Amino acid sequence: MALLTALSALRAGRIQRLAVAALALTPVAASSLLINLLLPAGGGGLATAVAALLRLIGATLPLTLLFATTDAADLLNDLEARGVGRRAVFVLGAALAAVPRAQARAVDVIEAQRARGLDTEGSWRRRLRGLVPLVTPVVIGSLAEVEDRTLALEVRAFGAPGRRTLLRRLPDSRLQRAARWTMGLLLALGLAARAAGVTGP
Amino acid sequence: MIVLDQASYRYPGTSTWALPTTSLELRPGEVVGVTGANERGKTTLCMVAAGLAPVTIGGELRGRVLVDGRPTVELAGYELAQRCGVLFDNPTVQLTGLHRIVYEEVAFGPCNLGLPLAEVHERTQAALRILAVEHLAGRNPGHLSGGETQLVALAGLLAVRPGHLVLDEPTSRLDPERSLQVADAIARVAGAGVGVLLTAHDEELLARVCGQVIEL
Repeated sequence: MALLTALSALRAGRIQRLAVAALALTPVAASSLLINLLLPAGGGGLATAVAALLRLIGATLPLTLLFATTDAADLLNDLEARGVGRRAVFVLGAALAAVPRAQARAVDVIEAQRARGLDTEGSWRRRLRGLVPLVTPVVIGSLAEVEDRTLALEVRAFGAPGRRTLLRRLPDSRLQRAARWTMGLLLALGLAARAAGVTGP
Repeated sequence: MIVLDQASYRYPGTSTWALPTTSLELRPGEVVGVTGANERGKTTLCMVAAGLAPVTIGGELRGRVLVDGRPTVELAGYELAQRCGVLFDNPTVQLTGLHRIVYEEVAFGPCNLGLPLAEVHERTQAALRILAVEHLAGRNPGHLSGGETQLVALAGLLAVRPGHLVLDEPTSRLDPERSLQVADAIARVAGAGVGVLLTAHDEELLARVCGQVIEL
């Protein structure tokens, strides 16, 4: 599964994004090993640590695979093509865009505060002190922006009744359809096997 | 035509009238400028003239506001959008942030209306053409300059084909060169028969494009 994810990300040119996701797991992996190998309270040993880590990877891989290989705009477009309502699609899109938007806003606020003489570099204490004047404008600004964006949608007829026109249809090859059906079948078989007690603890 | 007849407005939960009693008329192809000190109600006037206040944001409206002969309070948001577009002073919030290229961003409004695909393309191309920004069609909307973002946001409104446009300080964040670009675009839009209500502090802009200027 991990190999499949890496290959898919490589093919989609998103190996860097996958590497970031893998890097994010490093502290969790380290703490799992630490707890199970060194601390008496954990005590599960290497096998337990590896099992916990594999479970974690198993839980995060599907999402990692999705975002490593799929452009958000394509995902939203395809969901709409499959009949998901425009509001639901927009909410998902807004959620996906929320993090980069917050990052951009934070950069703007940092630059504005620096221009006013705020020191955000140096020792960790100084950096921590510099955080306080940043948080309020970022949070309040994000909330105010939601209202502005709602109005902006309204003036572009987002509330119009009926289906939206789709500007483009994504290609869906026979191979892709077959792969989806196969994965669905494997999932159903896995669930059935688990229910029957064939696999797992 | 947009008509404000003795209209005043206050926001929900407030006791003061953000828009003092105001009357004005905006005819097709006409550019009316609105100027005045801060806190005099210019932005509120934009909201009221376009019907967003009180239709979308609530509040209390006194007097009458008519768009093409119909009271704004009787129209749904998407019906208002087809009669009057509003450009806010911060164009970045006007873009959806969901599209990879400017062309798709501009086509968002016509797509919302469920128009046939050919008409969506026709409107999108026409909107880009009238603002002379066809060269931006393939660009990422998130990577545009302030002036380009303003023009793309305006193109997104034009693609819905409103009979009127309300522009709230469209050049307040732009340098003189970009302001000139936006002023030319406003003149072209008005030349195509769209009535434009424009609020601004920039006297040069008002003198350049407006047939009439009202002070609040």
